[in-house]
Amino acid sequence: MNPTLSELEAKATRQKAAFGGDAHIVCDNLVRIYKTEGVEVVALQGLDLVIDKGELVAIVGASGSGKSTLLNVLSGLDVPTAGVARVAGTDLLSMNARDRLRYRRSVVGFIWQQTARNLLPYLTARENVELPVKLAGGRRERRERADELLELLGVGYCANRRTPEMSGGEQQRVAIAVALANSPQLVLADEPTGELDSETSELVFDSLRKANRELGVTVVVVTHDPLVSEQVDRTVGIRDGRTSSETLRREDAEGHIIAEEYAVLDRVGRLQLPRDFMNALDMERRVRLELESDHIGVWPAREEPSGE
Amino acid sequence: MRIPLLARVHVGTVAVLSVLTISACLLIAGLPRGMQASFDQALRRSLSTASAQQADLTVTVASDSQADDLHERGQFDARDRQWRELLPAGLRPLVTPAGTGSSHASAKTSLTPITGTSGTRYINLGWLSDADRRVTWVQGRPPGAPGTTRYDGETIPVFEVGVVVEALREMDLRVGETRTLGENDYVAVKIVGAFEAKEPGDRYWDHNADIMHVAKVQPPGSLDFEKHITSLMSDDGLTALSGEGRHLSYNWVLPVDPAAAGAMDVPGLTAAVADLDRLIGVQSTGTASPYRLITGLPKLLGDFRAALATAETVMYLVLGGLLAVALGVLVLGVQLLADRMEHTLTLARARGGSLRQVAGTGAALTGLAVAPAALAGYALSYLVPGPVLPIVHLGPVIMVLVTVGYAAARLAVTYRAPLHERRDDVATARPTAKRTTLEVLVVVLALAGAYLLRARGLDDSAGQDPFLLLVPVALTAAAALITLRCYPYPLRLLVRLAARGRAAVPFIGLTRAARARSASVLPVLILLPALGVSVFAAVISDGISGTQVQASWQQVGAPIRMTSNIEIPAEAIAKVRAAGGVEQVVPAQTARVQVGYGAERAEAIAVDVARWRQLMGGAPFDLPDLSSGALVSSELRGRGTFEIGWQSRLKLATRGVIESVPGFYTEGKFLVVNIDVLTRPAVNTLLVKGDASVGELKRLVPSATVVSQQGTLRAIQDDPLTSTVRWTMIVVTVALAAYALAAVVLALVVGAADRARAVSFLRTLGLSERQAQRLTVLEILPMILVTTTVGLGLGLGLPAALGPAVDLSSYAGDLPVAGHPPGLVLPGTLAAGLAAVAVLGAYAHTAVSRRRRIGAVLRVGDLT
Repeated sequence: MNPTLSELEAKATRQKAAFGGDAHIVCDNLVRIYKTEGVEVVALQGLDLVIDKGELVAIVGASGSGKSTLLNVLSGLDVPTAGVARVAGTDLLSMNARDRLRYRRSVVGFIWQQTARNLLPYLTARENVELPVKLAGGRRERRERADELLELLGVGYCANRRTPEMSGGEQQRVAIAVALANSPQLVLADEPTGELDSETSELVFDSLRKANRELGVTVVVVTHDPLVSEQVDRTVGIRDGRTSSETLRREDAEGHIIAEEYAVLDRVGRLQLPRDFMNALDMERRVRLELESDHIGVWPAREEPSGE
Repeated sequence: MRIPLLARVHVGTVAVLSVLTISACLLIAGLPRGMQASFDQALRRSLSTASAQQADLTVTVASDSQADDLHERGQFDARDRQWRELLPAGLRPLVTPAGTGSSHASAKTSLTPITGTSGTRYINLGWLSDADRRVTWVQGRPPGAPGTTRYDGETIPVFEVGVVVEALREMDLRVGETRTLGENDYVAVKIVGAFEAKEPGDRYWDHNADIMHVAKVQPPGSLDFEKHITSLMSDDGLTALSGEGRHLSYNWVLPVDPAAAGAMDVPGLTAAVADLDRLIGVQSTGTASPYRLITGLPKLLGDFRAALATAETVMYLVLGGLLAVALGVLVLGVQLLADRMEHTLTLARARGGSLRQVAGTGAALTGLAVAPAALAGYALSYLVPGPVLPIVHLGPVIMVLVTVGYAAARLAVTYRAPLHERRDDVATARPTAKRTTLEVLVVVLALAGAYLLRARGLDDSAGQDPFLLLVPVALTAAAALITLRCYPYPLRLLVRLAARGRAAVPFIGLTRAARARSASVLPVLILLPALGVSVFAAVISDGISGTQVQASWQQVGAPIRMTSNIEIPAEAIAKVRAAGGVEQVVPAQTARVQVGYGAERAEAIAVDVARWRQLMGGAPFDLPDLSSGALVSSELRGRGTFEIGWQSRLKLATRGVIESVPGFYTEGKFLVVNIDVLTRPAVNTLLVKGDASVGELKRLVPSATVVSQQGTLRAIQDDPLTSTVRWTMIVVTVALAAYALAAVVLALVVGAADRARAVSFLRTLGLSERQAQRLTVLEILPMILVTTTVGLGLGLGLPAALGPAVDLSSYAGDLPVAGHPPGLVLPGTLAAGLAAVAVLGAYAHTAVSRRRRIGAVLRVGDLT
């Protein structure tokens, strides 16, 4: 039945809920283009992402898919070209330099892949942890805070050691402590275990999980380590600068972990089909959709009958 | 962030920066001091070598009537005090106090003839305020009070006087005799004693040469000499001395102490003398004749200023170049430090460091490296003797401000965005239209400025000509801009050629060199002025020394020249020939000869020109061969065959026109003839070759004045201004060469990490160590070669571009230095040496980095 004029009117004036609502991290149609002379690289091509407070999320993707760019944007180190990026209610696009500094000081902490890049080699672990606190204006109890964090992450014994005196795993855990020094709401880690063996990786990841669980910090880890992605509740896949898939993990009644992979449907209804699905059914250029009562069927395009 | 900790971590770089700062501050603060000290020394020498009469201030007044007569010592003292009170503040420290040095007062008559000598003998009456300190009485007694006598029916005063011993002999006077003076207003003098000066060499006697020596004057049209002496009377004599009927003048000498003079005060001194002159003129009310100030000081100071202005200009130019280069190298050092701190600062910025914290940390560390070093350099500069100029304080302050300011600005720009991603490897920014326009403007302005400077010359009236200082700066900037802009183009051409070849190393090396534009800007900006200024300094210094040698030959005309007023006898010539060290002797005769039959006179020298040329050997000598006839000066040109009267009538054909006769004539009418044309040559000049002793030759021919070219050269070189110009040039050249080298090494170290990564990456592709070395050298070589060539050209071109504006003739025996072709050996060696050392540095650098493992610099996934 056709809607009446008043119904249409009511529909038009109704406030539509914002994308992502009041989620902790919201990226909507995020675009980041790098421009150098004659070369334009579109690193993010309309990426959508919603992460709730206290989540532990892994972002996976091939090299060059845009995951590091996303992390740089979220950490306030890089400014997106267009779209929406909001973290803890802060709009990352409209921040001025002062806001950005405050954001980096109190909202996010981050960890790079290279263990040596996270720490100043000539400072002890404790001094490294104290550094962000000092930069932010310094609190009196920063020493206690540093010791507390190092203790929490299991590297309290390294407090007086300098970088060269620590193993890679220890360095990365100290780096997590550094990231947590100013009690951020969000910790971003770019391949934090990329340089470590699997055993050490486990330890480092435990530390991240501990920060997530015990301090209630939202943790976003960029990785292409499948072991890491198995240890988080949600894995977001990025392909060609867009979120392409999500894998959710939950425990079933018997305590088994069940992982379910979903394709991501964007706000205008676009969907990325996994490449191997498309290859298997030889789907190209166009597909046929059919709406059923509880699902949508996707079929390869029908062969056009020849005129003969 | 803890600055001392950072300083400890980057101790090497901090030390490099400190050393650079110490040396720069020492040079910038010390050199001007040393220079100023020698300027002062030059002024003192010029004042003390000038006669005291010229340098000192003398107030004089003539007394024409009894009303103006001064009869007591007290009157002289009172006026002396008055003159001293009038001294302007600028002159006061220079004038020695009353009663010291040669300050004195005198009263003297002039042209007081001895009665009956028809005006051929004169005994002037004189009084000196300090005669008792200055003379010793060797005959008779000191004069006493005057008396009277009768002469020609009148009572006239008799002055008791003393005369110098020399006058007794020369003027046929005797102690004890009385002479009447004057032709109508008579006085008598009784010579009661004869004296000698206690210190005959004292400058004091410059003022009173008329008392010390008999003056012989040949009046026009007369063959005989007039003889004048001024006698000395006692204080009592003054009471009877009157200006009425006599030329009487009173003089007060205010001596100038050369040791108290400073070159910086010269403009003030000139003004002060003019002031004093005006003030003294005003005092004349009440006297019939005006008081006058007599002094040659303004002329002396003016001559000194003219010589000083050129020295200062050249000094400012090279010091400006040195300052610019030193700052450039310091900035390069700061760049190295910023490079070393990159990890720390990037991390701090990413972890929440504000721009102020990050830039402040960098600036503070730079300050810590630079400020104490600047202070040390400043303190060390006090070891250099000389007055403290404003630049001594300013130089180090400028150094600190520029380096710290650059550090802060550079870091602020670099870390403006917290994520500092450099993609210089992918693309270079294309210069904007605005920048291109600006660069073209600088080049056009520089060229126009150089043209105008050549066309206009130097503005002497305003002291330092700012235009002269700006043009070289603009020319250097223009050369740097053109180099930076243009040098990739020929390189790209080479890259294309290299791309066709089979070898990979030239291709990659040249490609990298052609791309490394932004990184090589600073070394080019440092190397270019460094080489430009040092080559300029070398050219100037070489020009001065070359011209000095030429001037010495020009002045003497032979290795040794002996000239005599009377004929040198043949035996003496034979003795000279036989003297030790004498290799060759060419006799000559000089005279003033009659040209034609009129009153026209010309200087002439009769000599065997061919033998003279032979005697000069390889020395600069520009007389053409002459077998018969005469070589004439340009003022005698165009006469064809002419006659002169020299011993007999000689008919001479003009064989050539000459500018000068080295050692003899440079201007006026002069001619050279062959000595054979004289019927009986009376040799009065000997030109000697060999290293014979001047003293020995003088002994052999007592009547001759002996001058050697070596001695003259030493005298020219000995001038303090000349030696200052030369040693400053040498110090600056050495310093600039060192700085250029430091710039190359620093540029290599700054780019080391980048280059190491690239080389390591290429080594994973199969580049051998040897190839890696060649690659580095090829990468750095084009920049060094191009900059060296342009710098060399700039340095050689600057003297030509500045042309007549820089007149160095006062340092080269008054010969124009510009005429001296620039020697290419020294500048060429300088440039080639620098290029070679830079290339060696590149080799050494690769040799050191070879020891690093590839993995240590190259990490998979990193930007290469």
